[in-house]
Amino acid sequence: MSTLQIGLLFGASTCLVLFSGMPIAFALGSVATVFMYFFMPHASLDTVAQNVYEEMASITLLTIPLFILKGAAIGKSKAGRDLYSAMHIWLCKIPGGLGIAVTLACGLFAAMAGSSAATCSAIGSSAIPEMRQRGYSSRLAAGLVAAGGTLGILLPPSVTLILYAVAAEQSLGRLFLAGIGPGILLVVLFALYGVFRFQWEQKRAQAVVDAGGESSRILQVDHYTLAQKFAAIPRVLPFLVLLLGVMFALYGGFATPSETAGLGAVLALLLIAVVYGAWRLSDLKPIFLSSLSEATMLMMIIGMSLLYSYVMSYLHISQSTAEWIVGLHLSKWTLFLAVAFMVVVLGFFLPPVSIILMTAPIILPPLRAQGFDLIWFGVVMSVIMEMGLIHPPVGLNIFVINKIAPDIDLIDVVWGTIPFVFLIMFAVLLLCLFPQIVDALPLYFYGPQTLR
Amino acid sequence: MQDQTLNDPLSREGAPFLLQALHWLNQVTAFFGAVAVGVAACVLSWEATARYLFKIPSDWQDEVTIFLLVGATFLACAWVQQQRGHVAIQALSAVLGPRADRFRRWLSDVMSLLFCCFFSWKSWTLLLEAIEDQQISGSAFGAPLWIPYGSMAVGMSLLVLVLFIQVVSAQALKPT
Repeated sequence: MSTLQIGLLFGASTCLVLFSGMPIAFALGSVATVFMYFFMPHASLDTVAQNVYEEMASITLLTIPLFILKGAAIGKSKAGRDLYSAMHIWLCKIPGGLGIAVTLACGLFAAMAGSSAATCSAIGSSAIPEMRQRGYSSRLAAGLVAAGGTLGILLPPSVTLILYAVAAEQSLGRLFLAGIGPGILLVVLFALYGVFRFQWEQKRAQAVVDAGGESSRILQVDHYTLAQKFAAIPRVLPFLVLLLGVMFALYGGFATPSETAGLGAVLALLLIAVVYGAWRLSDLKPIFLSSLSEATMLMMIIGMSLLYSYVMSYLHISQSTAEWIVGLHLSKWTLFLAVAFMVVVLGFFLPPVSIILMTAPIILPPLRAQGFDLIWFGVVMSVIMEMGLIHPPVGLNIFVINKIAPDIDLIDVVWGTIPFVFLIMFAVLLLCLFPQIVDALPLYFYGPQTLR
Repeated sequence: MQDQTLNDPLSREGAPFLLQALHWLNQVTAFFGAVAVGVAACVLSWEATARYLFKIPSDWQDEVTIFLLVGATFLACAWVQQQRGHVAIQALSAVLGPRADRFRRWLSDVMSLLFCCFFSWKSWTLLLEAIEDQQISGSAFGAPLWIPYGSMAVGMSLLVLVLFIQVVSAQALKPT
């Protein structure tokens, strides 16, 4: 069989088993094993388990369970609620300040937890009822939290960026820094939309009052004393110190990324013990078990995805596909658009983890050949994958919102997230036009990159 | 989202003793997995602190962390499957009729079982080779490789048992 035929069969088999509903990890492992049996020397089957172990035994990859533990520790505490409350107390004077507070709290929480679902759940469970109580529409409340949650896969310590660093053999430190600029850009865009939409809803409520209708809670302005404002700080300050301390340890050269992950997890557990008194077994058990469950699921996908990529590479499927893409002589931006479209479509069905590991061997060589900076691309790819978290059919964050606010119709949650999908697209456009948004911080801290 | 414990043949009330024993074993391995993740975090924290504050060189910490975290992953694998925690694409469930969808889910369990049987078998052969040849890791620390391979073999075998019970009890074929 020619490489083309094997490649087509490989792709079709992958689609078939994935859509059969087999867990993604076992599906990828099965396809890899079957193709090993039919198209590779039989001795290769003897090393299946060893291959998976060797691919998984990477200290960079194994930071993932520790960052997940850190996220679970913070996510299961009341830190999310306190962070959001403090932001609200300080920003309530600004029209639409509550929306800004939610977006900022999501950004900060994502930077501490590194997980989209944890961010949505932790901030949303207190912010959504509060926003609705203050007259915000269900769509705006759900949309703001769902979109804010997506920042978890972009801001450090993003699991997505860790995997991309391994798959693309790029510096994790550079990637983490590169994600900060676009993360801030998205926070600004989401907050601006929140303000704009708030004012529109407020005008509609005012029009109803002017026409003799009932007054709405959205027309009332909250007031907090200076004492109340300062009283909100002590509960969130330790977590901000943790966030900055971890970044300082990493970029100050005091700790490697893996040590940062370990330190972050230990410090997060210590903080919730000190601040919230969460030190008993009953407090710690759900934290450890939920993080173990998520980490196991992810690490199994990662291990099997790497086996899948190894088979793809051995059979020259990835190389031939990459050569074919290069041979098409697409212009730089046509290639980028094609890759972006593919990532969006894959995002309909697959989690970011699988998309990166399955596609990296195919898409990165043509992108490199076209002169794309792979750090820049990794960050832009993560931004694109953020869309997959807030649009159907998978849209993980949509379902998280549905779970924490079951009284909001799923269709309202979906409609609420649509404007944010467009905002993310706009952000991608800005990142293409102004790559400095991504490059500036890595360039400042690490200097120019010699190898791309 | 439905409560997975309702569909779990292992933790169901009145389950046969062997199934209860497997359920208990999965709980124990998950406990050790959770402890391993916590210990790994402490080891890495110690590595950074000892090197920076006490100028103690790090030689064993990375290796131990890898063993702990790989071990935790494989040991908890069966426990995660028991709760149906391994993520899958369920797009077809919206298209297929209830009976066809139940059959699809059962078939995906069977396919998972076949793959995990093979992987488990290869894990055991890897473990036996590591013990016979007294294989050690390539680092200066030179830790014995039967430790991570052992966790892989045990974890995958438990996973096979859980999948086998899920297939045999044909829970996927029953209306939920």
